[in-house]
Amino acid sequence: MKTFRVNLWRHITAWVLIAFTAFPIYVVVMSSLDTSGGLLTTSLIPPEMGFDNFAKLFNDDQIPFMTWVKNSLYVASITAVVSVFMGAASAYAFSRLRFKGRKLGIQALLLIQVFPSFLALSAIFVIMGEVYKVFPAFGLGTTGGLLLIYLGGSMGINAWLLKGFIDSIPAELDESARIDGATASQIYWLIFFPLAAPVLAVVTLLSFIGTFNEFVLASLFLTDVDQRTVAVGLQQFIGGKFDQNWGPFTAGSLLASIPIVIIFLSLQRYIIGGLTAGSVKG
Amino acid sequence: MLYRLAGFRGLPATILKFILLAIVDIIGGIAITQAIAGRATVMIVVLAAILLGVNYVYLFRAPVQWKFLTPGLVFLAAFVLTPIIYTVGMSGFNYTTGNEISRDEAIAALVDNSLAEDPEGTAYDITLGKDSNGDMSALMMNQIDGVVSLATLDGVTPLEEGTYELSEFGVPNAAEGFTAYTPDEIAELGDKITEVRFPLGDGSFASPIYEELAVRLTQDLTYDPKTDTLTSMSTGIVYKDNGNGNFADPADPDNQDSKLYPGWRAVNFPDNFKGLLFDPEIRNPFIGVFGWTVAFAFLSVITTFAVGLTLAIAMDKPIRGRRMYRSILILPYAIPGFLSILIWRGMFQRDFGIINRLLTDFGLISANIDWFENTWTARAVILIVNLWLGFPYMYLIASGALQAIPAELKEAAAIDGASPFQSFRQIVLPLLLQILNPLLISSFAFNFNNFNIIYLLTGGGPRDELNGERAGSTDILISYAYQTAITNPLDQNFGLASAISLFMFIIVGVLSMWSLRRSKALEEF
Repeated sequence: MKTFRVNLWRHITAWVLIAFTAFPIYVVVMSSLDTSGGLLTTSLIPPEMGFDNFAKLFNDDQIPFMTWVKNSLYVASITAVVSVFMGAASAYAFSRLRFKGRKLGIQALLLIQVFPSFLALSAIFVIMGEVYKVFPAFGLGTTGGLLLIYLGGSMGINAWLLKGFIDSIPAELDESARIDGATASQIYWLIFFPLAAPVLAVVTLLSFIGTFNEFVLASLFLTDVDQRTVAVGLQQFIGGKFDQNWGPFTAGSLLASIPIVIIFLSLQRYIIGGLTAGSVKG
Repeated sequence: MLYRLAGFRGLPATILKFILLAIVDIIGGIAITQAIAGRATVMIVVLAAILLGVNYVYLFRAPVQWKFLTPGLVFLAAFVLTPIIYTVGMSGFNYTTGNEISRDEAIAALVDNSLAEDPEGTAYDITLGKDSNGDMSALMMNQIDGVVSLATLDGVTPLEEGTYELSEFGVPNAAEGFTAYTPDEIAELGDKITEVRFPLGDGSFASPIYEELAVRLTQDLTYDPKTDTLTSMSTGIVYKDNGNGNFADPADPDNQDSKLYPGWRAVNFPDNFKGLLFDPEIRNPFIGVFGWTVAFAFLSVITTFAVGLTLAIAMDKPIRGRRMYRSILILPYAIPGFLSILIWRGMFQRDFGIINRLLTDFGLISANIDWFENTWTARAVILIVNLWLGFPYMYLIASGALQAIPAELKEAAAIDGASPFQSFRQIVLPLLLQILNPLLISSFAFNFNNFNIIYLLTGGGPRDELNGERAGSTDILISYAYQTAITNPLDQNFGLASAISLFMFIIVGVLSMWSLRRSKALEEF
């Protein structure tokens, strides 16, 4: 009991913050189950509970939720896989190969990856508007164009993140293969790639979450209801009509969050490792 | 060894490589063809350079690192570097709604748009068809003088009586070298009919209104390339280039009404920057936005770090339930941010939001508060929501850093008689700040550009839209740039938005360099 009293303030701090953390989550769960469908008006516990709001997501033509989910999955998985493939190759070159201009290249990469690509959004808007005139499949207002911008934007950060991981994989194996006469691409595909597969999978998933959660560029590009990702779709759906659409919106939010939260929590270790890697070393 | 057993050296790998390269070449080839068709010179050059480069790297013995770097570099250069360079360029232009096209396009559009029906109201009864070249042409009869002529895209030839035939309504409908369209062909042409201009030779045109009637259009403005002026036939005004992307009446070149639209994007460097610094109408909102951006980013870092650090210290001992606490407390970091923000926005909604409801129930307020209509409550809401979103991150990095501080230091302090608070204040905290400094700076930079929270929570408002105010009182630089460049299609200013973006580039760049130096990341390789 004595240790509990000594630690009492620790528990109180934790519980105060848990209340703060859990409050909106509780509200969302309750609102999604509230069959009246409006903002929570009467009490913290809805008088009638049911799954009407969830059913609406799948039946109501006004909310093509499944289409949005499909679009999000499509955009986010292509971005994640392709950008990790390309980023891994660049990261490998910077980590393992020795060539002139390597140091300069890494510094340039480090500098580029700090600028989020949406900082140049007015330029992107204008450029992709021009691209649309020539390539209607890849300009402003198209999923293809959005994909291209995502691929470019995630290249810097993914290459940088992967370089950190690759640096921590021992180089002995590559070296022995090189002594045996293997070429750089053989070493990459046959020795390094299988070895780094778990790490690549983690970065792919992180990149997937990042793209899934992206809003600014997606809202700039995806104007058609049927093209929207979950982020843009739900934002447009709720925008200005909080009182009417709150119920289905919270249900959709809940469904969209759960897989992301699960992926995130299972990758916790890597995320936290990645967060502090840069600083603790110094 | 492994790679020999796999037989990767040799045929299969080479074939795979050629297949991939062939796919890239085919896609690239199609793209270049389309670019040529669209006459996009810049894109043709860029695409060709990329395609040649890629083929060189993978077909010839280019240095091996290029085989690894090329795919990533192409995307980085095309979709990250190009927009940055473009931003720099655009900031030197008058690039606004009404000034979006090139100078030649603008002149062509001005001349073309100045077509008007002639004052006498000349009209023609027509029959549309094909001339001997297969191009669209028309047999027309002037309704006033009854002269019949064959109009083609090249000009007009009057026809002698007897060389044409009239229909039952007295409209010429057959002549040599002329084939009338069938009703199906007319239907297929649709609205294209009204875009046709048959030159009449005196600077005016005959233009069909529908398939049986054309009117005479005269052109009010004529462009003279020698003097580079546009002259109006009706008013006699000679318009000159005002040096800022428009032709204007030289008597009053700065008056909005004397400018001709569309204009073109003209170099006006350094007007956009000068405006931000000296023109009170642009400068004052900019300074306001800039001040709030810095305050918002700073306060966000301070509040999230204070709460995160307190939590990290509280959880630094293996207390009961720590794992459970921890997995709940990092949820805000795991839930997609855009959703959390929208949910908070619903909770702060004036009439139905749970927050006003609870405050009323507890008797704290008597009337619902309109959180987003008042500058200060809106700002407070932003900081509260950002605290919710951000404290778990700070908790995670602070607890990581706490573990990195050797326990001996604290023990030594305790032996020397320091109280726990003293040891924290004088030993732990300085070390912690030193370790976390780069991450705190990055966090500042992140919040500096935290578009989502502003855009989704308040939309930058409250904003006095009736008075045409662009900068809302919770706008930060990035949302202000968005507002300036994109939100209102009738009032876009890409040049100014790019100048604002450049300020952000510089600030983010300086902050990041500072942070990287602190973490010594730059010296590691």
